Amino acid sequence: MWRVTIQGLLAHKLRLALTGLAIVLGVTFVSGTLVLTDTLHNTFSTLFSQVYEHVDLEVRGTAAFTGAYDQTVRNPFPVSVLSAVRQVPGVQVADGGASGDAQYVAKDGKAITTTGAPTIGATFPSDLRLSAMQLIAGTAPRTSSQVAMDEGTATKYGFHVGDRVRILFAGPPQTFTISGIIRFGTANNLAGATIAGFDLSTAQKLFDEVGRLDTIDVIVAPGANVATVQRAVAAVLPKGVEVVTGQTVANETASSIDQGLQFFSTALLIFAFIALFVGAFTIFNTLSILVGQRTRELALLRIVGASRRQIFRSVLLEAFLLGLVASVVGLALGVLTALGLTALLKAFGISLPSGSLVFSIRTVVVALLVGVGVTVLSSIGPARRAIRIPPVAVLASYEGSGGHSMRRRIVGGGTLGVLGVVTLGVGLARHAISVVGVGAVAIFIGLGMIAPLVARPMSQVIGRPLAMALGVSGRLGRENSMRSPRRTAQTASALMVGLALVSTMAVFGASFSKSASSSVNNAVRSDYIISPSSAAQLGFSNATRAAAAAIPGVSAASSIYGGQFVFQTSVSSVIAISPQDLSNNVRLRTVAGSAATALAKGELLIDTTTANNNHLKVGSRIRVTFAETGRTVMTIGAIYQPNALAGSYVVGDGFFHSHFAASTLPVVLLLRTVGGASPAMTAALKTGLQNFPNVKIQTRAQFIKSDQASVNQLLGLVYALLALAILIALIGIVNTLMLSVFERTHEIGLLRAVGMRRRQVKSMIRAEAVILSIFGAIIGIIVGTGLGVALVDSLKEQGLTNIVVPISSMVVFLFIAALLGLVAASWPARRAARLNILGAIAVD
Amino acid sequence: MTSDSAVVAHDPSNGVAARAVDLCKNYGTGEAEVHALNSINLEFGRGHFTAVMGPSGSGKSTLMHCMAGLDVPTSGKTFIGEQDVGAMNDNQLTELRRDHVGFIFQSFNLVPTLTAGENIKLPVDLAGGKVDQDWFTLLVDELKIADRLSHRPSELSGGQQQRTAFARALITHPELLFADEPTGNLDSNSSAEMLAFLRRSVTEFHQTIVMVTHDPRGAAFADRVVFLADGQVDGEMLSPTSDAVLERMKSLDH
Repeated sequence: MWRVTIQGLLAHKLRLALTGLAIVLGVTFVSGTLVLTDTLHNTFSTLFSQVYEHVDLEVRGTAAFTGAYDQTVRNPFPVSVLSAVRQVPGVQVADGGASGDAQYVAKDGKAITTTGAPTIGATFPSDLRLSAMQLIAGTAPRTSSQVAMDEGTATKYGFHVGDRVRILFAGPPQTFTISGIIRFGTANNLAGATIAGFDLSTAQKLFDEVGRLDTIDVIVAPGANVATVQRAVAAVLPKGVEVVTGQTVANETASSIDQGLQFFSTALLIFAFIALFVGAFTIFNTLSILVGQRTRELALLRIVGASRRQIFRSVLLEAFLLGLVASVVGLALGVLTALGLTALLKAFGISLPSGSLVFSIRTVVVALLVGVGVTVLSSIGPARRAIRIPPVAVLASYEGSGGHSMRRRIVGGGTLGVLGVVTLGVGLARHAISVVGVGAVAIFIGLGMIAPLVARPMSQVIGRPLAMALGVSGRLGRENSMRSPRRTAQTASALMVGLALVSTMAVFGASFSKSASSSVNNAVRSDYIISPSSAAQLGFSNATRAAAAAIPGVSAASSIYGGQFVFQTSVSSVIAISPQDLSNNVRLRTVAGSAATALAKGELLIDTTTANNNHLKVGSRIRVTFAETGRTVMTIGAIYQPNALAGSYVVGDGFFHSHFAASTLPVVLLLRTVGGASPAMTAALKTGLQNFPNVKIQTRAQFIKSDQASVNQLLGLVYALLALAILIALIGIVNTLMLSVFERTHEIGLLRAVGMRRRQVKSMIRAEAVILSIFGAIIGIIVGTGLGVALVDSLKEQGLTNIVVPISSMVVFLFIAALLGLVAASWPARRAARLNILGAIAVD
Repeated sequence: MTSDSAVVAHDPSNGVAARAVDLCKNYGTGEAEVHALNSINLEFGRGHFTAVMGPSGSGKSTLMHCMAGLDVPTSGKTFIGEQDVGAMNDNQLTELRRDHVGFIFQSFNLVPTLTAGENIKLPVDLAGGKVDQDWFTLLVDELKIADRLSHRPSELSGGQQQRTAFARALITHPELLFADEPTGNLDSNSSAEMLAFLRRSVTEFHQTIVMVTHDPRGAAFADRVVFLADGQVDGEMLSPTSDAVLERMKSLDH
């Protein structure tokens, strides 16, 4: 049987290569993602180990709680702790530091932003042994007007020692002289972050920590035991302060970056699995057709004594070998892709410490398991079909028994589809993405099973205009697409999945765009919205509000602050609004209680969703915890309708500032102007706020527009990732058409013999491909629209209040699908047109 | 009534429908080279029913394929009417086959997805032309398939399929009809019926037919039989009878 299997594989090299390509692409995606994230992980752990290489111990405030995105909130402690630590036996060097947000302004007056990394202001240690920073030029900052700049920023923006640079803080911006350029271990910056190093007293002033410290770094005397010293240090620390090893800090920092990486890799892997799922459809289809074409050969094997088990194994073995080869190729391509992507990161100016690609055993195992697994699983169906071939099928007159399982298909596919819809519904209601995924997979497989039922009538309808336009070639193309509904449906199913996902995203995007304007308008009544110019920024200077309020024409300016607190048991975001803001800039529609009174009284305001989910009403008392001030009990003062600006929890600004650090930055500034938004007013604001280049000045309409634009950008990215799945679906179409052309060699030869031109042969194949694609696209778009509507509906409380089905986009998708069908047909069509007529009609 | 000359005589009264001049066709190269056709000179008279006979491997199918432009000769020329088939490009050849030549093969004559009626009209549809309705009706009536027109080939008997193929071949009023073992897959009744139709089309409609066959009874329906052996013309017989053909074939077979 082994020989037969190998021969079978070799006989269908081209078709199998095409099928394998689907797996290759999927595995490339998976392994590329894994190698890239492993490499980045390794890079960051190396980096932070280097940074903390000489630090034996670090003293810091204990974590009040761990917020979302693993942001740990730690409180500063009195500077007196430093002298206590220095007196502990075994402590050789101890040095304190204060840190905060510091954003450089480039020479052209624009704020320097990062792609997601923080803009760090830190203390330059007095003892260089403690320093993660290494001076590569100039001197350490010694006065309140000096700063040490990271090499990455200096190189990219052309700063040198002695240059003056403006830096933006929570407080007013200030100008410094660059005293030195620093680097970290072998890296020119800290994973894309920008760093400004100040001497301790300057840092304390800048970050509002006079008399206080964020950390104390300790080097243990030679010969002393680190653990012993750690215990001794711990003994002198006041409550709320802890001491950990340098390695612990390095690991924590690396792991918080890992969380981000994890998110990134999960997102990519989702798309990789979509690609593989579509690939599974393609493989299933190709192997089914191949088994069908080899009916006589397989029957002959049965006649000469092969058992069903042997036939079954042979088909599975074929799939196994195919999957193995494709996975190995995919693995190799994945490594290349990861290499390319790290090169791309370097091109973006993120210099990473030198480290080679991490190619872990896990990557190999996952890639092979996934690639081979998907291929073998997809081959079980065709293998079962193969063993049902009776030996009598060897006779030329044998007609395969098809369609008797239609009833089973309807029942099976229908059940699966309904289960999928239910699972999807549950997943959406609970916001459990993996459950949603399982539901969607079930729906797609169920549909794939039922699709053959509608393939014939739908092909007939879709093909009608083609038959009319193209004459006999179009008619034949249509007939061919109706010939084997199962094959048509299976081929189209792969495209269906791709287009369903694209349509889901289209509905989501259109609904978001529509909802964005109403949700912003329902939450904000200001004329202007001032926000951070980069998404990576935490906020902007507290001084911005005063500067804006002083501009003639501005009648009201509201700084909106945000922070995290623990509500009952979960970490949540809370927004601070002043009672005056309500009448000027913010809309809060209360359904119970009075918002203004509640804000003034220091009570908590919650939205209706939170109130309903937690069974709370005005007057309820609940436990909350703030990082700085600890636990307290708050009274619910008012309940409001879901609000895009406020989110779920609102407190008064007075209450907020007494519970959050003074260095907390405003996240948005709302301005009301005398004459409303106008170009003149915008120009006045730009001039008035030019000291704060890290803010974006937008009218409400512009803000809504940019909100929509950012969603469209995200959609573009998702479309690009889904394009791979669609590409694989196209490979499936190419494959099916090639097999059909091969199968119809005689027929095409006959058509040529009785006078069909090559061009007509081509348009016949193209017509079939276009019908196939449109068929898949129509089902996909319908299903995707349904999924999109369900998705948007489930996000109603998140502000997606309008459901919009973008008909024009759907029409465009349909056209694109038809075009892609044409592209997919080009090779099979050429092949068919080039068929040797004589070979095709020769009987013996 | 046989002649052993290489150039076979014909009845020149109606002119020549097709001819082969020094036609050679080789397969393979070197040691393995096979001369399927070895310098054939042959003319097929217009309005005549010519049967080409010979043992397996004598080159009779190859001759037909070369004559019809389905295969490319190694050397020599073939003409349909006065048109040099070898000088045509693919489109011209396609048009030649579509508009001027008809084909009937041993099997697989019909497109399975089209009905019998659609199959018959296929060459005209491919040309984007209009079907000669009177001719169509006459053909399907004569061939007794008028009531089978809306059926797919899989729903037709073998004889009905071949008659449909015959109607398809005749629909364009071809100058020449090539039939390659048209009765090879038929039972004797259907065979005789089919051959009678071929004969009548020659007698009544002055159709020119070149039929490749190895059945002496079939050959007896022809006006003339050309014998092929080892890729060469090995004589001919006018007004053949099946017995005479059988005798002649025996001598060819050795």
